[in-house]
Amino acid sequence: MSRAYFSKSHVARHQLDSFNYFLLHNLQKVVNEQRIIETDIESRGKSRQPVWVELGKIEVKKPMVREADGSQGELFPTEARLRNLTYAAPIQLEMTLIQGDDRYEPVIATIGQLPVMVGSVACNLHGLSDGERIEHGEDPLDPGGYFIINGTERVLMTLEDLASNKIMTEFTERYNERIYVAKVFSQYRGYRALIVVERNRKNLLEVSFPSVAGHLRFVDLMRALGLVSDQEIVNAVSTDEEILTFMMQNLEESVECDSVEAGIMYVGRKLAPNQTRDYQRKRAEFVLDNYLLPHLNYLMPPDLKEGDPGYEKAVQSVRLAKAHFLGRMAEACFDLVLGKRRIDDKDHYANKRLKLAGDLMEDLFRISLNRLTRDIKYQLERASMRHRHLSIATAVRADVLTERLLHPLATGNWVGGRTGVSQLLDRVDHMSVLSHLRRVISPLSRSQPHFEARDLHPTQWGRICPSETPEGPNCGLVKNFAQMVEISKGIDEELEMKRILFNMGVEALKGEAK
Amino acid sequence: MPSPKRIGKIEFGLFSPKEIRKMSVRKIIWADTYDEDGFPYPQGLMDLNLGVIDPGLRCKTCDQRAADCPGHFGHIELAKPVIHVGYTRLIRKLLRVTCRSCSRLLLSTDEIEKAVIAEDEGTGTDTLSEKDIKKEQICPHCGEQQYKINFEKPTTFSEVWMEDGKKMEHRLTPADIRARLEKIPDEDLRALGINPLVARPEWTVLTVLPVPPVTMRPSIILENGQRSEDDLTHKLVDIIRINQRFKENQDAGAPQLIIEDLWELLQYHVTTYLDNEVAGCPPARHRSGRPLKTLSQRLKGKDGRFRGSLSGKRVNFSARTVISPDPNISVVEVGVPLAVANEMTVPIRVTTMNLEEARQYVLNGPERPTVNSPCGANYVIRPDNRRIRLSEANLQTVAEMLEPGWVVERQLRDGDIVLFNRQPSLHRMSIMAHRTKLMDGRTFRLNPAVCPPYNADFDGDEMNLHVPQTEEAKAEAQILLAVQENILSPRFGGPIIGGIHDHVSGIFLLTHGLRWFRKEDVMYLVQHHRISSLPPPGKVEDGVPFWSNKQVFSLILPRELNMVFHASSCQNCVECKREGCERDAYVRIQDGQLVSGTIDKKAVGAFDGQILHRTIRQHGMRRTAEFIDDMTRLAIRSIMLDGFSFGIDDEDLSKTEYGQIREMLESAANDVRMRIKIFEEGALEPMPGRTEEETLEMQIMQVMGKARDRTGEIAGRHLGLENSAVVMAVSGARGSMLNLTQMAGCIGQQSVRGERIMRGYDERTLPHFRKGDRGAEAHGFIKNSYKSGLSPTEFFFHAIGGREGLVDTAVRTSQSGYLQRRMINALQDLKVAYDGTVRTTGGRIIQFLYGEDGTDPAKSSYGDPVDVKGIVESVLKGER
Repeated sequence: MSRAYFSKSHVARHQLDSFNYFLLHNLQKVVNEQRIIETDIESRGKSRQPVWVELGKIEVKKPMVREADGSQGELFPTEARLRNLTYAAPIQLEMTLIQGDDRYEPVIATIGQLPVMVGSVACNLHGLSDGERIEHGEDPLDPGGYFIINGTERVLMTLEDLASNKIMTEFTERYNERIYVAKVFSQYRGYRALIVVERNRKNLLEVSFPSVAGHLRFVDLMRALGLVSDQEIVNAVSTDEEILTFMMQNLEESVECDSVEAGIMYVGRKLAPNQTRDYQRKRAEFVLDNYLLPHLNYLMPPDLKEGDPGYEKAVQSVRLAKAHFLGRMAEACFDLVLGKRRIDDKDHYANKRLKLAGDLMEDLFRISLNRLTRDIKYQLERASMRHRHLSIATAVRADVLTERLLHPLATGNWVGGRTGVSQLLDRVDHMSVLSHLRRVISPLSRSQPHFEARDLHPTQWGRICPSETPEGPNCGLVKNFAQMVEISKGIDEELEMKRILFNMGVEALKGEAK
Repeated sequence: MPSPKRIGKIEFGLFSPKEIRKMSVRKIIWADTYDEDGFPYPQGLMDLNLGVIDPGLRCKTCDQRAADCPGHFGHIELAKPVIHVGYTRLIRKLLRVTCRSCSRLLLSTDEIEKAVIAEDEGTGTDTLSEKDIKKEQICPHCGEQQYKINFEKPTTFSEVWMEDGKKMEHRLTPADIRARLEKIPDEDLRALGINPLVARPEWTVLTVLPVPPVTMRPSIILENGQRSEDDLTHKLVDIIRINQRFKENQDAGAPQLIIEDLWELLQYHVTTYLDNEVAGCPPARHRSGRPLKTLSQRLKGKDGRFRGSLSGKRVNFSARTVISPDPNISVVEVGVPLAVANEMTVPIRVTTMNLEEARQYVLNGPERPTVNSPCGANYVIRPDNRRIRLSEANLQTVAEMLEPGWVVERQLRDGDIVLFNRQPSLHRMSIMAHRTKLMDGRTFRLNPAVCPPYNADFDGDEMNLHVPQTEEAKAEAQILLAVQENILSPRFGGPIIGGIHDHVSGIFLLTHGLRWFRKEDVMYLVQHHRISSLPPPGKVEDGVPFWSNKQVFSLILPRELNMVFHASSCQNCVECKREGCERDAYVRIQDGQLVSGTIDKKAVGAFDGQILHRTIRQHGMRRTAEFIDDMTRLAIRSIMLDGFSFGIDDEDLSKTEYGQIREMLESAANDVRMRIKIFEEGALEPMPGRTEEETLEMQIMQVMGKARDRTGEIAGRHLGLENSAVVMAVSGARGSMLNLTQMAGCIGQQSVRGERIMRGYDERTLPHFRKGDRGAEAHGFIKNSYKSGLSPTEFFFHAIGGREGLVDTAVRTSQSGYLQRRMINALQDLKVAYDGTVRTTGGRIIQFLYGEDGTDPAKSSYGDPVDVKGIVESVLKGER
């Protein structure tokens, strides 16, 4: 036990594990999300041929330094610190240009420099013995887990946030009345949307989510999502007697909609009043597919495009899943009304999720890659307009991505407008380094009291240190990991997981694609 | 010297274009500042008519040098009018309440009268507001249909109307707006609360822009000789450039589109010139990406002109360093390190009477080697106000030149009056006048007895010291700010300066019970006091004289003091045993002799020292200050006589006590278990207005609280006055019996916001307990003491309780600071007039009698104007 306590590899384990996971899996995942770079050359160019680029394998090399004379050499952290360099490694991406029916040879291009965490698998120190580390000018007791940007050591803070994709219930006071609410922060690929189901005074359910002004009637929305009959809707919510009576009231309120089509038109009218019916339908479908519970969109097969066979069916099944999820939210809301469920404790650590260095780098890389693809698209289109030969090597400008990656790390201004994410490593003494690497910050504003959030919650036992927190305005908002904390990472094998669940007796939704 | 003038009234208005041109000394047309030779361009932004900043040049307007020229305004003729961002709300209001064709107020004359009268009765304002005008109407004067005015931040106005069911929008250019504002008749403006003589509304749309003098936007010369211009100059350059281009395009007859673009650009530059933080407008940036600091930014906020430069300033003749305690100096003194004293000076005006003395100061020079050497001088000032710095080289010559009328800036020496201050300055005792005492070392030294008014301790606190420079300031400091004048706090009418910590413990140990001292010990105790003779000994044994402890203490009491009171250790027995009190808590002083009782916090402590309070009223501030000095010295001596310390073994109890505590807690736990059982059976009788669950919680809290107190009693039985912690708690020096209970007995129930710890996992606080466990341990009761050590769960609960305290202090300090600031802002101008009323500066009465009883709390006895008890006691001399 005490050996585990004091083993040196433990201190920044979470930082390194997280970053390694990003390097080995999520980097490729982000690239796969992007998959291709489409261009508008077909419609604008002379050749009238569609042109696109397919993205392939991504690889991160070892940290390098490019000298003024153009030579490249291996870079070690000490040198980076002393010479005010950035400890970063080139990223190489396999790209294939496709012009009409021609498929060019895949090109491996360096698309930018990725700052590398000291001690991670991409680090030159990885796997070195203590003696070898000393030879390279490195303290063998240094825990690693930070980046070196222009010679300064930068730590990515672990961010604590409310768990996404989880139904949370709460009360809100409005006009001296208690409103019962079920909320979900739905998150999918960096996009975060708040979906709220609430029960108003007349026991009617209302749903609101981004891009909808005001709210939608629950039952009509369910119809729009593909649950036609009253029974289907009620079953999606609950079979409880009391809830049944509530649902009856809801059903009576919406008589105008009786089909999927009518439901979609109801949504469309709310979204785009005074527009043509055609536009309304299109808008409604777009919003339902993109802004309502976006986290369920993972059910969409990734390589299916509009117009492909089976596309319609996949969309239908996703909408159905959304309907059933909404049903669960409604049930939670009614359960709260009936006292079968208590409001969720937002400070309960089960309702918290931590964003570690790897997750932050993923967000950053996603946005940066997006920028790069836009730039590549622009470069290709420009080359095409000037009737030049299209070439990947010239279209890729590595500085675009590098700049995008370095700037947030250097300043702490992360994508999404969060500040103070990367901080200068506190080297006052060894203890402060260890403490800094294990710091957790909460997004709550320090100027408001937030008494409950600042309290030490019993669920923090074994996870967060009960004693170490700053005094003053940040008290209880800035935390530190407990000595033996272990951070779980979730499960990769989705199919395996599904099989286990089905084996345990979970029933598939009607109409869901298996 | 100009004669003083009284300000009759101040009126605020707008500059009219005419006025701007009139006060302008130069029309500015060139965007450039300096030519290659570094000479300002004529009619450029640094034109010599606008004032000079370079030494050597003379202002072309007033012919004065850089130091004396105040600067003069210039002006820029704008190609087209632009809106002043500061007045967009006014413009919006005016456009909405006036007709779009005839510019009359959208009300008939009767309606105006009616609205004005109606408001008169209500709020008392005699002006119209936007609400008085009905929406969507026709002008009562010309019958024109009115359109809605849309305002888009920062400066865009447009008209919106419906035509054939479609929304139509038309943008209003600043010129259109100005034309409409020009037409508003004066009477209508008066009804809107605008005085047309000083502020015509069209003046809010600028046609001429004043160019501030160079003196308020000086350029700085960097080390490499390059000039770096002020942000305002940069912004003005932008404005002139665009203005010039605009004019050229206009003259060349450029297409409307280009004109509009340039107009908008000009508007943007003028907007950011006035305020660079307007909503809906990207801030103008410097080349480095830093947002420019323009006019509004200079005034706004904490470091702005008002809060930063006018309300708060930096001062000379001040020093700041760490403070440390010195119980041997007087409370009215402050120990000043030599380094500070050598730097700080007091001006001495040389007269025929002190010429020799002043000459000696000069001869002593600026370097004083030790604390005991005579003080020197750093500067002399000649009658023509020339300052001469003294150095070894010129001492002799200057000393000889010295004659009446000169001023010598003498270094600080013992006995000078200085102001001493510690932030935050929350009450008037945060700054007091002390007498200096030069000391070795590098810290300010102060008597620990003056810590309470400053709220100072010595964990690294720093304090400021200021030296008054005029005789008036010195007199004022001596009479109003001196420490002895501030012993009584105006907050509660009691002494705020008095014994703390060891003073109280020491004086308690000295005076408790009856002790006899031999002559050596008495002399040891009083060796630092000015006592000329000892009273006759209290007893003589075997020919050896002995003095009682009460006699020793009586040595420092004023002769004529008579009082009776109860000490801190008094238990408030139903019937007081008076002199027979077994705790010696009945204090009786007769003719300055302590007859019975123990002197402790109640007698000499800060905040409630009864003896201090009485001596102030009977013998004055000065005598009281002396008494505090004597008392603190005596206390320190007497605590040193025996020594005083506290260790881990002072928390030890005997086996029997530990057994009793265990039994105690056992029975309390049983009690709780029983109550839970009753509750679970549903047999609990709820208290009125509470649910059963709440009742149970309250009962458990009560039981646990009682259990903790009980353990304290058990521990207290074992720990007597031989225990230092008990001495401190009983005398009121520091800590309480509760602290001792927690150290030796049991820490007790931990709570969060007054409740037991309830949050955590599903139906339990921690996974160490069963679900639904309502027992004591599962919700934060700590059986152990700090001495015995806490179990892991107990430690965690303690951390939960401790965190609440931390959060509380952090949140409270910021909130109370803000509250204080707002209160001071609201009350700062009130004063007590000679007739006893509280008035504002305008003479409005706030209170008819100050405090509604006319009592100065600093001269009261804990708020009462007459100290009846004190008078009775001094007459009866403690007799019944």
